[in-house]
Amino acid sequence: MNGAVATTIIVAGLALAGYALLMTALNRRMNVPLLAAVGVLEILLLVQVGIIVARLAGGERPAGLATLIGYLIATPLVPVAAAVWGLMERSRWGPAVIAVAGLVAAVLMVRLHQIWPVIHV
Amino acid sequence: MSEPTAPPEHTASRPGSTRTGPGRLLVAIYGLFALSACARAGVQIATKFSHAPVAYLLSAFAGAVYILATVTLAAGSPTARRIAVLSCSVELAGVLAVGTWSLADPATFPDATVWSSYGSGYGFVPLVLPVFGLLWLRRWTRRPKTQRTTATSAEDAGEAAGF
Repeated sequence: MNGAVATTIIVAGLALAGYALLMTALNRRMNVPLLAAVGVLEILLLVQVGIIVARLAGGERPAGLATLIGYLIATPLVPVAAAVWGLMERSRWGPAVIAVAGLVAAVLMVRLHQIWPVIHV
Repeated sequence: MSEPTAPPEHTASRPGSTRTGPGRLLVAIYGLFALSACARAGVQIATKFSHAPVAYLLSAFAGAVYILATVTLAAGSPTARRIAVLSCSVELAGVLAVGTWSLADPATFPDATVWSSYGSGYGFVPLVLPVFGLLWLRRWTRRPKTQRTTATSAEDAGEAAGF
């Protein structure tokens, strides 16, 4: 069940990174479609965090609980921080920041799986 | 490239600040590495320090250097730029030294640091990042010359600016 969400996040994160890098290459600034895509990524990440929290609430525990909780806190902050920092930039480098957030979201899913293998990717 | 006393430029003739333009991207990536290196080192030191003390202390040191680079690049004042050049130089030296050390003496590193094997666990970003940081900071030190000698001369500038 949670494998589908994580896979979607990886695909969406990489697609967002590709789109944002294209915007950088085309010398475009931050725009509404890009922000909307960041919003979609944020919702997907929150769903994934919710799934993991539900498993924790159900009594399951990973070996590295502290690390996992750190990831659960940091993960939803990534698109928000990138959006704020990117919107402050009025050049092509705003979308470049968003590209980093997309790549990081994909990497985070792999790392979550490494921390707690029951989280499928 | 050996004059440490470049006159303090004002922002009018330069790209706004070290945090704008490409610097926006650099600060974002530095911030990411500052967070991940520090959080990782913090958990490792708190939970299993004796397992690999050298690796964990080096991770903590790397995290501190990343924080310094993030803050100084984001601040962008002349003093902050000098500290940023210094921290990028330390970072480059660190990733090269620790990368070599981790390959030559794997027994000291039963667990990886950010800089092990030249940052291969992090897609070699730790190796590339200080180079781009120094290239970016060079805009405020001197007019760019040939690309070939950039990294070394920027590092020289960093050492000179540190005194």
